[in-house]
Amino acid sequence: MSDQHSTISRRRILHGLGAVGLGGALSACVGPTITSRGSGTAAGGAAAQVLPAVKASPATGKVSFAHWRAEDKAVFDTLIATFVKANPQATVVQDISPSNDYQSTALQKIKGGTIGTAFVAFRGAQFVNMNKAGLYAGLGAQPFVDGYYAELIKAGQATSRAQMGLPYQLVFNMPIFNEDAFESAGVSSAPTDWDGFLSLCDRLKSKGLTPIAWPGGEPANSGQLINSMVMNNMPTDTAFADIEAGTRKVTDDWFLATLKQYQQLAPYFEANSTGTSSEPLQQLFASGKAGMLATGSFHIGAVRKLGAKFPVGLIAPITVSADKAKYEGIYNATFILGVNTAGSGQDAALKWLQFLSDPVNAGVYANGTSQHVTVKNVDYTNADLKHNAPWLAKKTLLAPRFQFNNLDIRAAVEAACVAVVGGTSPDQAAEKAQAVVDQKRK
Amino acid sequence: MSTTLKPASPPEAPTLPTPEKPGGRNPMAAHPALWLFPVPALVLYVTFFVIPTIQGVIYSVTDWDGFSPTAQFVGLDNFVTIFTSDDLFRNALSNNIKFMLVVVVFQTIFSLVLAVFLSKNSKSSVALRSVFFFPTILSSVSVAFIWKFVYDPNFGLINSVLEAVGLGRFQSAFLGNDNQAIYWVALTQVWFHVGQMMIIFIAGLQQIPQELYESAETDGASRWQQFRHITLPMVAPATAIVMAYTTVQSFKAFDLILGLGGNPPKSSLDILSTRIYSGFANSQFGYAAAESLVFMALIAAITWIQRRAVKASNPDA
Repeated sequence: MSDQHSTISRRRILHGLGAVGLGGALSACVGPTITSRGSGTAAGGAAAQVLPAVKASPATGKVSFAHWRAEDKAVFDTLIATFVKANPQATVVQDISPSNDYQSTALQKIKGGTIGTAFVAFRGAQFVNMNKAGLYAGLGAQPFVDGYYAELIKAGQATSRAQMGLPYQLVFNMPIFNEDAFESAGVSSAPTDWDGFLSLCDRLKSKGLTPIAWPGGEPANSGQLINSMVMNNMPTDTAFADIEAGTRKVTDDWFLATLKQYQQLAPYFEANSTGTSSEPLQQLFASGKAGMLATGSFHIGAVRKLGAKFPVGLIAPITVSADKAKYEGIYNATFILGVNTAGSGQDAALKWLQFLSDPVNAGVYANGTSQHVTVKNVDYTNADLKHNAPWLAKKTLLAPRFQFNNLDIRAAVEAACVAVVGGTSPDQAAEKAQAVVDQKRK
Repeated sequence: MSTTLKPASPPEAPTLPTPEKPGGRNPMAAHPALWLFPVPALVLYVTFFVIPTIQGVIYSVTDWDGFSPTAQFVGLDNFVTIFTSDDLFRNALSNNIKFMLVVVVFQTIFSLVLAVFLSKNSKSSVALRSVFFFPTILSSVSVAFIWKFVYDPNFGLINSVLEAVGLGRFQSAFLGNDNQAIYWVALTQVWFHVGQMMIIFIAGLQQIPQELYESAETDGASRWQQFRHITLPMVAPATAIVMAYTTVQSFKAFDLILGLGGNPPKSSLDILSTRIYSGFANSQFGYAAAESLVFMALIAAITWIQRRAVKASNPDA
């Protein structure tokens, strides 16, 4: 009897070992190649492949267009129909993943070439990592790249300045404001210095309005305000990148000054602002009870849907005196279009990008999604886009919060601003953030 | 000539195949085709459990960023960093322990109390059980959105009610208060799952023989004494299940935290599962894999300690 048990037991062990061995063998096949310690960089990625100039012939084959903007699906469907009409031998399928899953799941499939012949990335860490891994095919030889505003597509360049991707969407990550409310408070033009901005907030408050609706309880949106708060305080335009590189600190004077200015703004935010999320604030703004919504132009469409009838403009706090102000506002160029080096069908994917780069088609996208685009000569018919189009020519800075490639470091720096509004002293908040920066830089 | 009569032998019974006796031939050996039956299950198990686990272990000793075709072997560096110089991990662990303690204590007590009052199969009890069980069938995201509006400091239900009844001084920023935020989320988790745990307790309570209560009552035991000396020991196995399940659930309350706190959540709401997710989102697959292994070991250790504690307090459990 015991012998029988021992026989089964041995077999089971062998089965288990077999399974583990099989698993090990398979897992070794699907993962990265592991190099030994000190054998050189592991993050070098593949050498960039540069695509030859797009041919004039019609596109053929299937394009999988991987992105995260489910809200744009209908507009893309319209554009796809036009593309397929002009290229009957081609099809375009949208592979949409929620933005949360995009990094963790969809990108692995894009990397494997199973989806995303044409694909997109967020500006910042995601684009940097994908480019480093060699997923973006070089677009430098493509004539349609000239149809973009050169300044606005720098975010799609590799460190070598080669154009790898095309940032397509242009958003203004700075507060939006109710022009009627400003007018009723006797403010006819945007303040040009910090005192003027605080005075504006006072006037709005005296009218019974919440001067600034700020979603301090929602890191993704509360962090947008930091862009315009630091744009004129930063000693260099790359100060956030410098913090991550270790050449500047969160405890430096310029950032402490920014934190003190957050402290000054605290009475002008809605009560308990550190616990408020953006949805109720959009409602507050849409109902005319708040002067500004400190998120970005990407919320103009949302407040319109909530019934806002007043004209909506863009405003950035100028945190220095008028003569020292370098920038009037903030923009971000994201949704970086690219052609996948993995898999096949690159020619059709390139033609799809060329199609999207056409001003007429870019206009369909822009007006249909209420977002500006980085393509030149687009005719904006959407009233809000038209109204704020002059910002395309203003002196704006590429949103500095996305200079952080390490999201923990970015979160720590932005959390310092929230902590100050919540009552922590600027020095303490900065020190706490710097401690995280020091640990995460290692 | 003599004839010897022999007793008539009974007719031979037809022989039927008999089951293998212990010690006899193994049916798997007799019928090799039987080996094929577990293959589909084995393939699924290896694909979805064994391979990811092995991959997790392999990645945990590398600096893989999730994109690059190569990764460098870093030995135990990731684990050393986790234990010695990662305040964010320690903060997440601390939040998680606070969260777990509140959830385990309150969810176990509330669900037991509800179960005691609703264990009879009367119409009203059954109806009330459905009411308390209802939140369990909601998705975590729906629950998060409901409570996001309940906790909103300006437009939320709680502060509005406090204001309306003249208790405005007790208003809170709730999730905006870094010292309280994790406890408010823990209360949401209790509300979310208390009905589910109540059902487990009801199943346990209904197994207790009524005779025990009858004889205790005859002996003059009070209601509290009956609860203390009969109900509590007899539901110990159910308590062990509830506590173990609740503990694991507390460590994996990922969706509720992200729903309430956004992605990524701020540090006052960061728990281990969201921290690991942030690692993957931050292209630190190797480091996040190491955090995952620590996380797994932690859950296993806590569950083991709990089971030992429950067994020690009630050897029959």
